Amino acid sequence: MSDPLCTVVIDGRPVQVSPGMSVAAAMMSTGLRAWRTTRHGQAPRGLFCGIGACFDCLVMLNGEPNVRACLVTVEPGDAITTQGGATND
Amino acid sequence: MTELAAECDVLVIGAGAAGLSAAYEAAADGNRVVVIDANARPGGQYHRRGVKDPPYFPAGTTDAQRWANIATYMGWQAYAADLDGDLVVVRLRGDERHRNDLHAVSTRVLVVATGAVDRQLAIPGWQRPGVMAGGGAQSLIKGSGVLPGRRTLVTGTGPFLLAVTAAIVQAGGEVAAVIEANQPRRLIRHAAQLMPTGLMKSGEALKFAAILARHRIPYLTGHRVTEIHGAEDDAAVASAVVHRVDEQWRPIEGSARTFEVDCVTLGFGFTAQLDLLMQLDCEAVQSADGGLAVCVDDNQMTSVPRVLAAGETTGVGGVDLAAVEGRIAGIQACHLLRTDGQRTQPDSKVMTGLYRRRGHLRRFAKALALSFPTPTAWVAEQTGDTMVCRCEEVSLTTVLEARDDLGATDARAIKLLTRAGMGWCQGRMCSYTVEGLCPGPTSVASQKAAANRPIGVPIPLGAVAKQGRA
Repeated sequence: MSDPLCTVVIDGRPVQVSPGMSVAAAMMSTGLRAWRTTRHGQAPRGLFCGIGACFDCLVMLNGEPNVRACLVTVEPGDAITTQGGATND
Repeated sequence: MTELAAECDVLVIGAGAAGLSAAYEAAADGNRVVVIDANARPGGQYHRRGVKDPPYFPAGTTDAQRWANIATYMGWQAYAADLDGDLVVVRLRGDERHRNDLHAVSTRVLVVATGAVDRQLAIPGWQRPGVMAGGGAQSLIKGSGVLPGRRTLVTGTGPFLLAVTAAIVQAGGEVAAVIEANQPRRLIRHAAQLMPTGLMKSGEALKFAAILARHRIPYLTGHRVTEIHGAEDDAAVASAVVHRVDEQWRPIEGSARTFEVDCVTLGFGFTAQLDLLMQLDCEAVQSADGGLAVCVDDNQMTSVPRVLAAGETTGVGGVDLAAVEGRIAGIQACHLLRTDGQRTQPDSKVMTGLYRRRGHLRRFAKALALSFPTPTAWVAEQTGDTMVCRCEEVSLTTVLEARDDLGATDARAIKLLTRAGMGWCQGRMCSYTVEGLCPGPTSVASQKAAANRPIGVPIPLGAVAKQGRA
């Protein structure tokens, strides 16, 4: 991707990512592997099916919870927040 | 978001190879054609980025003028379909940034080309971060240019494992090994059915073989990933255990070997996305790969009038078959829309060519499915804490108790007793596992019930309330 980078904020930290990337890809490009925990086991989850079917990659986007990170393309200034205390790689 | 039409002549759901081909042919008579897709860009799962430059036009659909007349709306997900007199009404929800936007389109002809998702089977540790569907890893690379991990174990069955491997190494990633559960030499048994398509595909096979050789990637056939482990203080993938397996994929004792990897991809074929077609009560059958496929006639018509289907929904067969089926569906859509006086038969020479090509590609797909089957009896023999349902976190022990102690005999009963398949994904990830755990062979009725989701995507209550006021 040769487009100029854009800035999004992941858990309060500004990060440079390529426009056209999915939110999930943006998070993974910073080394994040998981960004939400499950309801029962509080187990970490990240990207699994990658195409909108499994709902594992849910994330908080600009204050909206439970957004499928694999289906959304980043926009400059997006505030991405891991849900329910996620683990970092 | 762009204002969407409320009605059209032909509505195509899915902007992949099948949907775009159908739209192109359907627009031939000046019909108002609308294409809807949940993704941000057209192209489907195969052409994740091919639409930018140059534009992705499926083979035989190169008239740019005709493309200009087709309205394509990206970022809309069709979640329900029903019949209203002579029309089909499809309900749409906006993308993840516009989840409160609901819309309905009435169409004279509907073409469903919703494709497929990776088929999964529960394996100990498959819920760990770092485990991904093979197709998901590929779309991450193709769509966003990001690798799924530093060092990946590509596992499952079928030639698609090689496509995933190629995508990873071409993006600069490392593949520790390719773990193929079947024996590709079974292809020999189906040699006759593989031709002539196999001859054209052999170039692709050689390309993959060259990639494996150049990067010294072991290709272990008759092997299966049996456990995926994390590190002591981190749930994410740190290693995976692989066993040699018999024909039924049962691990052979003493054959375990461990790979240090931070990513494992899983892919056991594909499951067609049939939500809309099942809502419309279209007839379906079990196809050669054991999955459900909608029944279509020679012209891609389902059992429901004015509802057509093309691509993976009619049986998983890959991008080339999808494009041919899409063209036939689009031509048929035109034919259905002509009033009786104007009705002319489609160019028989063109149709004969398309039918023949479709026949070859279907035969090839069937031979591949029979060469790379996905048995399930071994699933029940895994450790009891294997997570069957990722969403509701239902263990194998819980499912087996429902079957053996509570007398559940089908997936529906297991779902009601254990919540397996009742979570966010509505059984899209666990249904093949649960079906495999049920006693006896899987029935079409049970598969249809699992694929019939009255609402295909979560609709916020606020959006429903807003619609009620409108």
